[in-house]
Amino acid sequence: MSNRVHEIRNHLTVVVSNVEAFRDGIVDPTPERLTTILDELAQVEILLREISSGERQP
Amino acid sequence: MTAMTGRTVLVVDDEPAVVEILLRYLREDSFNVVYAPDGPTAIDLFERHHPDLVVLDVNLPGFPGTDVLRRMRSVRNVPIIMLTGRADEIDRVVGLELGADDYVSKPFSPREVVARVKTVLRRNERAEVGTSPHERRIGAITLDPVAHEVRVGGKSVTLTPTQFKILNVLCSHVGQTLTRDQLLEHVTADGDVFDRTIDRHIANLRLRIEPDPANPRYIVTVLGVGYKMVNPS
Repeated sequence: MSNRVHEIRNHLTVVVSNVEAFRDGIVDPTPERLTTILDELAQVEILLREISSGERQP
Repeated sequence: MTAMTGRTVLVVDDEPAVVEILLRYLREDSFNVVYAPDGPTAIDLFERHHPDLVVLDVNLPGFPGTDVLRRMRSVRNVPIIMLTGRADEIDRVVGLELGADDYVSKPFSPREVVARVKTVLRRNERAEVGTSPHERRIGAITLDPVAHEVRVGGKSVTLTPTQFKILNVLCSHVGQTLTRDQLLEHVTADGDVFDRTIDRHIANLRLRIEPDPANPRYIVTVLGVGYKMVNPS
């Protein structure tokens, strides 16, 4: 559980860094970067699903 | 921030998508940046580039960030900001055990990291400029025996060589009563031999360093014995 939470934080760091950089004009929101963000969010979703299924199995 | 121009920051993190952006933010602020994806590279670049500050991920594959920190600190006391993914790491990282200068928790904002970098650098540079290793500080008085400087409340004070010597001796023995003879010993070395002149030197010193020379708070008279430097705070 704590490992997955840790992984989620790592994926979110990529998302936050990119979005903040778009806002600050540090990088452009290219299709590649937007795809990276979506991939990271997909990973977060998988991890959340694993965590909640883990909770259901005692 | 022009003040930070030319400072070198070493970033150690194994997530390229995060590092790339962090480096761009740092460059935007005129920092030189060096990047290492793992511990061994970090140590190597640390030795070759002499960074002014290190941003270090705690969780590096294989070679933990905590070991990287210890290795760097054994070489030199470089400021280090840790990137942590777990709340339970924070105490260990910034506590006595590892002594990082600061930490940023994931998910972090790159802007926040840059702000911390500047704060830590400023804090460290102020500390370096503010206190020479020889400096003595008693209340508002700062005495630097190497630079031969005395400041009271930050303002430079001019003293004669004899006055400086007396003050230096007193400052090296805060709280300890020194007899006139003991003080005289330090002064007579360069031929200032007049016996009872200590009292006059002390009176002149008080005029220069005491907020109220008539009621001395630093150099107090110990009746029948001599003088003593006290810390009024």
